[in-house]
Amino acid sequence: MFESTIINSVIAVVLTVLVCFIISTLLPGIERKYIHARIQQRIGPPVTSPGIMAPIKFMFKENVEVSSPVPGLYKALPIICFLVVLCVLIALTPEAYKIPALSSLVAIVGFLKVEEICYVLMGALSKSVMSVRMPFPDNVKGGAHLNATKSFVEDISSKRSLRMITYGSFPLYLALFAPVTAARSIFLSDIVSYQQIHGPFLFTISGAIAAIVFFIGYMIILNEYPFSIIKAKSDVIEGPYMEYAAKYRAVVVVTRGFFMFVLGAIFSVLFIGIPPTIFSWGILVNILVALIFVFMMGIFSAFSPVFTNRQLLPTILGTTLLGILAIVVGLL
Amino acid sequence: MDEKVPRSNIIETEIPMGTVHPAALEPYRVRFFVEDEIVQEAEITIGVNHRGIERIMEGLPVEKANALTEKICGICSNSHIWNSCRTAEMGLGIEIPERAKYIRVLMGELERLHSHFLYLAHGCEVLSHETFSMRIFYMREIVMELLAMVGGNRVQYGCSVLGGVRPRCDLDEAKLLRIKNDMDALEEGLTGFVERFLADSILMSRITGIGVLPQKQAIELAVTGPTLRATGVARDLRTTMFEYDDFDFNVITQPDGDVKSNLIMRALESFESIKLIRQAIANIPEGKVINRDWEMFDTDITESYIEVPRGTLYHSYALESGRVRHCIIRTPSMANIGAMQYACIGDQITDAQLCIVQCDPCFTCTDRAIEIVRR
Repeated sequence: MFESTIINSVIAVVLTVLVCFIISTLLPGIERKYIHARIQQRIGPPVTSPGIMAPIKFMFKENVEVSSPVPGLYKALPIICFLVVLCVLIALTPEAYKIPALSSLVAIVGFLKVEEICYVLMGALSKSVMSVRMPFPDNVKGGAHLNATKSFVEDISSKRSLRMITYGSFPLYLALFAPVTAARSIFLSDIVSYQQIHGPFLFTISGAIAAIVFFIGYMIILNEYPFSIIKAKSDVIEGPYMEYAAKYRAVVVVTRGFFMFVLGAIFSVLFIGIPPTIFSWGILVNILVALIFVFMMGIFSAFSPVFTNRQLLPTILGTTLLGILAIVVGLL
Repeated sequence: MDEKVPRSNIIETEIPMGTVHPAALEPYRVRFFVEDEIVQEAEITIGVNHRGIERIMEGLPVEKANALTEKICGICSNSHIWNSCRTAEMGLGIEIPERAKYIRVLMGELERLHSHFLYLAHGCEVLSHETFSMRIFYMREIVMELLAMVGGNRVQYGCSVLGGVRPRCDLDEAKLLRIKNDMDALEEGLTGFVERFLADSILMSRITGIGVLPQKQAIELAVTGPTLRATGVARDLRTTMFEYDDFDFNVITQPDGDVKSNLIMRALESFESIKLIRQAIANIPEGKVINRDWEMFDTDITESYIEVPRGTLYHSYALESGRVRHCIIRTPSMANIGAMQYACIGDQITDAQLCIVQCDPCFTCTDRAIEIVRR
């Protein structure tokens, strides 16, 4: 009996993850085809292209040797990111609620932090040709500061990622803990049960404020415009992802779509009380939430220039204060 | 406005960018010396796209040399062939028919429009505002189609020739009507864009006070064109060009010399160009478009300066037996490189490419200058 329960749970989790993963591959295409392209009055790519066809194409490309001091670790980081996102989704499924250490907000936050740390390491370990020094001193026109230490554009990206860990992603984590004020528990099972009895947390004052904060945090952690300072085209270009090609690039692309879906699923669990599971129609709510977030993000990013520190700091400060307000209102 | 002083002591960190970078339309290398992401000094190096066009021009028949100058630039190709023909016409004393002058002005202003639209679109692209960038590119398409209608091509029009313009570039009633209608559509589109652009508070916070080039430094660095006018100096060579004698237009200036001033400067100049094109359409005289009644003789070095979309363009050469000698071409970006380096100082590295782009660089055209240092 016990064994069959475990097997059933494993099958349920695997099927849920598979369905979620397949749907997540469409999200980048939906963002680019139906939002960015429509706003910009162009045809845009086929909807399957950015999330499905591009990774398949990358898988069959010849890899290039990365320019990194620790190539093994550098190449492993996208896979770690993917596994982290996978773990978050597994933690959100009802079957995982039997393992309290996994299905708690502390675990979710921990996983997300690992994801963020990966960006720091990616940036620090990438030394691309984009800022390599000439094979001779740059003194062709009486160049200044010939002995200055050379830095790579990815180094800036790494420093910015570190900054985002320290304060950039703060709004998201505040929003994650807002439902705790209502459920009085950090365990997902309790948060879901509370909402099934009292209705979605989203429809409270605290929940509504926290949802706004969550959305901004969602865009920040996805490095989407206008918060994409770690991969701004105007200076650091692709930033941490610069050196990834072929199958590693495929993993990066797939992880992004998957992360979009999983963040939507986190919102569904914490703010609506519907966990992702293939055995419930509630998964349609998860999909709908993921789509709504993608649509909103697409619209915001299409009308925003990339922020510099000058705009980023006040925005994050304001959002953080809003997150604190949500928690205070929730506690009252 | 305080003067920005480049740091003279040892800088800790250098961030080289280029020669290939997505924020740059052309190959150039820039070394940023930064401290905590603030640019302390910038150094631009060009030279990777040197084609030696002046050297190729040496000894060519002047007609062929003129046609070759059009290949210097993909954006202001018409300006180069116009100024090159103008140089020979000044040397040989060739009279230009009035109708040809109007067509040259019309082509020059259409080219200014497409150059300024490219500038605005590129500026928005560097700001990572793709939606605005796309919107401008759609408007630019109208201008490109008009240029193709008059010149037969979208980039190399071959409009000006010695003595006037090519007969195939003459404008009939249908073409004039189309240009007139398209100018109406363009004005409406541009007005809408400018209103939307200026009302965007996020964009304004990204461009206001960024890449400031004070007027004093602009004059010291011999900056030309809209980049100079964006610092408040009302200097436009079109006011002295005989081709523009019959035209009424305002010299637009902006006060601050920052990215915002430069972007607004180009947008407002585009309205003036639309005004000039309308005047050209309304007042274009009847008659021939080319004067073939001239004789070739040897001339001394003749110099010609004209105002092109990026600033002052200089062409000079002598003629010997109908062939070009001692050719020198100086594009506006040559003078503006100093401004680009200066504008970066004190701003965040995310804004550095924007500071360069605000001076409207065209390094591929500039890659012909040889600096002669007298010792």
